[in-house]
Amino acid sequence: MDVINEIFRLLFGPDPELRQIIGVTLRMSTLSTLVSALLGIPLGVILGSTNFKAKRFVNRILHTLMGLPPVVAGLIVFLFLSRSGPFGTLKLLFTVTAMVIAQIVLITPILTGLTANIVSVKAPLIHETAAGIGLRPFQRMLYIIHECRVQFISTVLTGFGRAIAEVGAVQMVGGNVQFKTRVMTTAIMMQTNMGHFEFAIALGVVLLVIAFLINSLVSRIQESAGLA
Amino acid sequence: MISVQNVRVQAGGRPILDIPLLEFEEGKRYGLIGENGSGKTTLLRVLAGTLQPTQGKVTQQNPDGVGYMPQSPYAFSFSVLRNVEMALKNSPDRREQAARALEAVGMQNFLASRGNKLSGGEAQRMAVARMIAKPRKLLLLDEPTSSTDIRGTDSIESTLLNYTRDTGCTLIFSTHSPAQVLRLAEEVIFLDQGRILEKGPARQVLENPQTESARLFLQHWRI
Repeated sequence: MDVINEIFRLLFGPDPELRQIIGVTLRMSTLSTLVSALLGIPLGVILGSTNFKAKRFVNRILHTLMGLPPVVAGLIVFLFLSRSGPFGTLKLLFTVTAMVIAQIVLITPILTGLTANIVSVKAPLIHETAAGIGLRPFQRMLYIIHECRVQFISTVLTGFGRAIAEVGAVQMVGGNVQFKTRVMTTAIMMQTNMGHFEFAIALGVVLLVIAFLINSLVSRIQESAGLA
Repeated sequence: MISVQNVRVQAGGRPILDIPLLEFEEGKRYGLIGENGSGKTTLLRVLAGTLQPTQGKVTQQNPDGVGYMPQSPYAFSFSVLRNVEMALKNSPDRREQAARALEAVGMQNFLASRGNKLSGGEAQRMAVARMIAKPRKLLLLDEPTSSTDIRGTDSIESTLLNYTRDTGCTLIFSTHSPAQVLRLAEEVIFLDQGRILEKGPARQVLENPQTESARLFLQHWRI
């Protein structure tokens, strides 16, 4: 009961930290998902609907990147943004921007791969049908995107779910700085290590509620499109 | 005149279509017959330009006037009417043309239905409407009635007969139905392992095949 009271106090009480952490988390996850979607979906459409010589090789690299460990992504971004790195002068390390960049590195291959898989199932049939009535390649591509739009929304929400639950990369490049780069996952880890379980549980509950809402939204969209 | 010259298509190193010369007269109706894997679909795809042959060429005077319907035509998720309108691009009265084409195949009650909710047979009828919504020079149909019931088949066949008569369009279709060949085709082309073994008037080829392969195939067909 004490834990529940503590959760409500943290969420709705005068202490701004929890609300601030939730705000940074949502801002970071939304931005990184949007940029990843803008990069990953067009790449996935091209990859899933065209045939070229090195396609198998590209797919192999993509599948490897889809399983990229977050700490490795974090390390790469860290090295690029550190003072002695190529982008050190931008002074982005330990900022929300750095965390967004790390998440883009992680999520873009996932969105590209999922999109390519979706498109590769429908594209041959759509291509052939549309070519048969005289539509040009660009028009065919637009129809492919139109026919896969519901699955694309699910893909983007999957990416958002991945972003909001990620901890390794954002810890490395964000540094978990209070009132600046602290997000829900890094805060849970820190509070648990410090023995502040109420705070960690409160954050965990919020994280679970957001994950539940995302999953509900995905299911709703799929059901309305007759996919579930 | 549509001419196929020295066309060869290979898949996985083996030839799946090998045609030294094949000519189609304008305005005639041709039926492609043969076992599964004999090259009917490959030939239709080469004629449609959706498959580039490994070697050889297809010559036709009006490539823009070609309509090709694959074996499993895709039904887009928007309305049936819009599915047919797609084929009419910038035509000012495309709505009326599309509605007329759908009426011709007996789908006047499906105009507002969503394409992806149609049954296989309905989707084929809609795809045929998409083909005949405007005048074409050449229609290539891959098993256009493979999923339709008797009424649907009847509707498609009579629509195609009327359309080819009214527009002077050449029709090339593949089928597994001997009765359909006799009803719809003037000439029959029998394919076996990617080669053309028989070509001639429909009844003549069906009743008096000249090659052993065609005789065996037609024997099974009659059973």
